[in-house]
This record gives sequence, C-alpha cells and structure tokens, in this order.
Amino acid sequence: MTTQPAAPLQQADIKELIAKHGGADRVPSHFKIITDTSDFFKIEYNDVVLLDNVPYWMKRCEKEGRFGLDDEPKFWVRRAIELPTGATRILKLVFYEEFKTVIAGVKMTCFRSPKKEARLLDLVAGHKNFMHGRWVLDAAGNNVRILEFIRGPRFDDVITGYGSNHHDYFHKYFPQVLDHFIELVQSIKFLHDQGEKHGDIRRDHIIWDEATQVNRWIDFDYNFQQGESLFSFDMQGLGNILIFLVGRGDVLVPDLYHKQRALFDTLWGEDLSIAYKNRVANLKKIYPYIPDSLNRILLHFSYGANIFYENTDQILEDLGLAREDMISLTGRQL
Amino acid sequence: MSEQDFGDLARRDTERHLLLAVDESENSKRAVMYVADFFSGNPDVFVTLLSIIPEPTDDFFPTEEKRQQWLTEQKKAMDRALANYKGILLSAGLKEEQIEVRLIIRHCTSIGDAILEEQAKLRCCIVVVGRRGITRNEEFLFGSTSNRILHHATHCAVMIVE
Repeated sequence: MTTQPAAPLQQADIKELIAKHGGADRVPSHFKIITDTSDFFKIEYNDVVLLDNVPYWMKRCEKEGRFGLDDEPKFWVRRAIELPTGATRILKLVFYEEFKTVIAGVKMTCFRSPKKEARLLDLVAGHKNFMHGRWVLDAAGNNVRILEFIRGPRFDDVITGYGSNHHDYFHKYFPQVLDHFIELVQSIKFLHDQGEKHGDIRRDHIIWDEATQVNRWIDFDYNFQQGESLFSFDMQGLGNILIFLVGRGDVLVPDLYHKQRALFDTLWGEDLSIAYKNRVANLKKIYPYIPDSLNRILLHFSYGANIFYENTDQILEDLGLAREDMISLTGRQL
Repeated sequence: MSEQDFGDLARRDTERHLLLAVDESENSKRAVMYVADFFSGNPDVFVTLLSIIPEPTDDFFPTEEKRQQWLTEQKKAMDRALANYKGILLSAGLKEEQIEVRLIIRHCTSIGDAILEEQAKLRCCIVVVGRRGITRNEEFLFGSTSNRILHHATHCAVMIVE
C-alpha cells in the first residue's frame, strides 16, 4: 500500500469536506490518504481513499451473507462517503478470491472477477433493475468499483412479510410478486442478450429500492468457467428464487416431516428441488390452489424434470401463461 | 466469409458431408472411431473434423498475456488431439482429400449452437458428437452440448455416440 504523505493543504481540504458532510466534531485528527488499495486490510476506518482524484471517506466493512458466513466482514467491500457530494457509496476493492463449491452435487470452481463486474456496470448503466456505479483504476491499477448505495430491504425479506398465511399471501400478494419476478427475469434476459451472465443469482442479491420502488440485482463479480451454456447457471438461480417466491419461503422437507407428516408422505424424490434436495419444488402438492401453469414452471427445477430451461425466453413465455392464470384465480387485474 | 473458405461446397453437397465435432475427451475419440469404422469404406464421404474452443473473456485472467498463454496452450493441445483423430480416420481407410480439420477459437454462449452454426455454413448433412455422459445435475447447471444439438439441429441428421 502506498500511503501518500498528505500535503497540509490537501489534509485541510479533506478535513473541510469531512466537516461539511459529517460535522466538525467528526473530523478525525489522524487519517491516511491512500491511492493504492492493493492491501485493503490496511485501509482503516476514517482513512480517505483517493480515486480519480475524488476522496472517499472510509467507513465500515460490509458483511458476508454466503455459506453460513453471516456477519463475516468483507474487508474488500467498504462503505464510504464520497466527500465532494456527501453521497454514501460502496467501494469494492480488488480481491482475487477463488473457491470450490458444490451445488446440486456438482463441484465447481468460482472466483471473483473485478473486470467482469466493471464491464457489467457499464452495460447496465441506466437500467432500473440493476445496481449502478462506475469503476476506476487506482494508482496501482486495481479495478475499484464505486457503487451507488441502494436503500431498502432484500426482496425475499419483503415477500415473507406479506400475508397472514400462504393462502392469504398467494391470493392477495403473489400476483404482484409474480410481476416483480417477471421484471427481474426480463432484466437477466437483457444481460443474456448481450452475451453476459449475472453469475450469482440468489435471492439475497435482489434489493427492493425504496426510492425507485423497483427490485435491483446486485453483485455481478462472480465468475466460473461454464460448460455447454453460458446461461444455465443463471437459469437455475432464477428457478430457486421462483420456488421461494411461490412458497412464501422455502418449504423444507424436514419441517414437513416433523410438522405435517401427511403432506410429507405424499412427496416423492422427484418433487424436490434439483439444486437443494431438502426443498420442495412441486409446491402444488403442498398448496393445491397453485395453478398448473405456474407449478409446471417449478417442475422444470425439480428432481423429476425431464427438460430444463435453456434461456430466459422460454421461462418468460411460461411465466406469461402463469400470470394469466393468476389473474383468473384471484380476479386481480395486475 | 466467402464460400471459398470452405472449399468446393457444391461438390461436397453431392457427397455425404459429416461434421464430426470433437474435443479432447475419450467420448470424442469414441465418436471418431465410430465414424472411422462406419463410413471409411464409402468414397463419397467427406469428414470435417471440428473443434471449438470457447474464447474466454479477459475477466478470467489477471492479464492479457495470461489469457493469450491459456489460448495458446488450449490450441496446442487441441491441434494434437485433432492430428490424432485425423490419424484414426486415415488408418481406417479414409483418404487425405476426404478429411478437413477445423479448429475455431471464438466467443460463444453455447458450444452446441456454435457447432450448429458451422453445420449450417458448411452444409453438412450429419453432425456427429460423442456423449460425455454428464449427470442430470451437471446438465441442469451447465447444459449439455449433445442435448443442445439434438434439440436444435435443423436440415441435418444427428448422431450421438455413447
């Protein structure tokens, strides 16, 4: 890390900006001005990172929500105040993490790719259903992504709060939830149509933007060597999310075994999710009022599936049919 | 790209032009051996041995140099495999002039689609591929080239060699 000895004037300028946006009492007496972010562990709270001559006043690390690592600090993802404007930003520093994971019993090697995320940020600039931001190279050539902060809850947390029970949720709220999901799939189609993949489609990567009242995909830095198709992995991610949305949460096999044994006894292996064998995909067996057209989509992501969706056009076509049936079922004009 | 790039297409249309799409796997070798065994006695058969290396975007590598190095290694390995496959066909009795080798490095969202694009350009009447025998879960996550070809091929026959 290069710690640039700040000229008194520079320090004074930055302190003035901090005082302007944080209040005079919050101006730190000591802080480093950093232009090379290679060793991000040395960037401390209250330090200032200069990127493209714009000072960012560093705040706390963001937390990891993956693989049971909740609350693990992500030292390479930092909240910061963009001093000239006072806006909150997320700075993603370069971290070449590579790890092996197992999904649906298949081992795969994933890695973080700052370049991919930067390229996608350029691509989705102005698209309402994605996070926005820009990227700059720091003094050492590290690709730092400067993201706009999205205020709002995770989409999955929003929908699990809807309705007093599943029947209530499904009839009163799900039609609108389905429309939101269709919009999210359309935005993934936008990426696929440009020959790009999201790479890490999970329900906690969708934020409900309170300001714009739309869902936005976040975190595009995951990458992996795909096999036959660039899009298959994104498709399975969309399927997992749809199963969650239709079920108002994951319907877990152990829960059924312990609490609803009669329903458990109706299940076969083919009814379960192909990606997560402890989740039910054939949700019509649990909630019989789910229209066939919607349940058929879920079955594409079940262990008993004979054919998988290859692209977003295919699932969008089926979602359109399911949407019509939801209108008929609930009488709600969406 | 002009038709001349593909040789005498008019002549090949009158023959049995097979597109034998391969990679370095044992399954591809089995497909080559099957074609060698099944078609070698036929003087009208023309075989295009095709391999497609999906060109990775630069974000897979820290530098462009590393990316080029990876591509060079992949190309070298595939050139070797293609030479072996051609040797199998020749030793089965096919003539040099009945075989063309094509190695394509390109960006593609689906290898199966890229193979079918070549089939359309070359006007091959049969596409032959080996079946990797991936699990259903692998197919779910990453797709299957042979299934893709089987479901999307038009104006040609498809042979999938197990």
